[in-house]
Amino acid sequence: MPNPSEKTKNGDKDTELVRAINSGRQDLFYELVHRYEKSLYNFGLRMCDTPSDAEDMVQDTFLNVFKYLEGFRYETKFRNWLYRVATSACLKKKRRSKYAPDRELSLEEFLPADESAVSADLPRWASQPLDQVLDGELAGVIRQALLDLPEKYRLVVVLRDVEGFTTQETAEILDLTPTNIKVRLHRARLFLRKALKSYHETD
Amino acid sequence: MKQTDPHHPHENCLALFERLSEYIDRELDAPTCKEIETHIEACKPCQVCLKTLKQTVALCKHLERRQVPEAFSLKLKGAIFDLVNEKTD
Repeated sequence: MPNPSEKTKNGDKDTELVRAINSGRQDLFYELVHRYEKSLYNFGLRMCDTPSDAEDMVQDTFLNVFKYLEGFRYETKFRNWLYRVATSACLKKKRRSKYAPDRELSLEEFLPADESAVSADLPRWASQPLDQVLDGELAGVIRQALLDLPEKYRLVVVLRDVEGFTTQETAEILDLTPTNIKVRLHRARLFLRKALKSYHETD
Repeated sequence: MKQTDPHHPHENCLALFERLSEYIDRELDAPTCKEIETHIEACKPCQVCLKTLKQTVALCKHLERRQVPEAFSLKLKGAIFDLVNEKTD
């Protein structure tokens, strides 16, 4: 039997493991869980209102993956398919976030109101090394700002910047065009930056 | 972001503002990147804009990941155990 952790030609380290499970080694499903439960749980914490909802989402995702794994076509990376299932579980779990009502973000709302709002000085939070900034309260500010983002923008920025999917992969996971992903990502980032700036200004 | 002098009109700042994420993600072609870099070099507010956005992205990329609660992990494996047994019975 091939080594389940070996990468295949398309760079998917999970293909062999999935093939082994689908050929009858269902006991290896635990290895898939082991590989992804932490990632999915953290994805759930960013996307759901409560840790309990995140746990439900992770469980629903793995149960659905178990149920539908035989239909996996190997044309895409397993991880992309997994997050597609997880995203669907998130959306079913909570159609509406209590934190972030659905609304459109426009580019204009992130432009400085006038020249007096324009800064030529780099704020301290943007000039400090990452480890110093992340040790402080800013990590909490950005976590809350992510939860405050309307869901359609939050999904994109979490998949792109937190989970590290490419624009193309995110487009496939969410069934959107790459252009749409880029537009949503930019607005989501500007929303987060505004939250960080506001925190700094009121500090 | 503001009209600092005639060589850096506000429109250039706005055009750059719209494309900053694509620039950070290296999704623009070489001439567009060059254009942006030339502008940024001479426009202090746009330098600040770029650096603050870059830091925002970096913060997202390095957010701490929590451990899965042990009780939940056991519950999840129990649910899968039931499914595996159901299928092999």
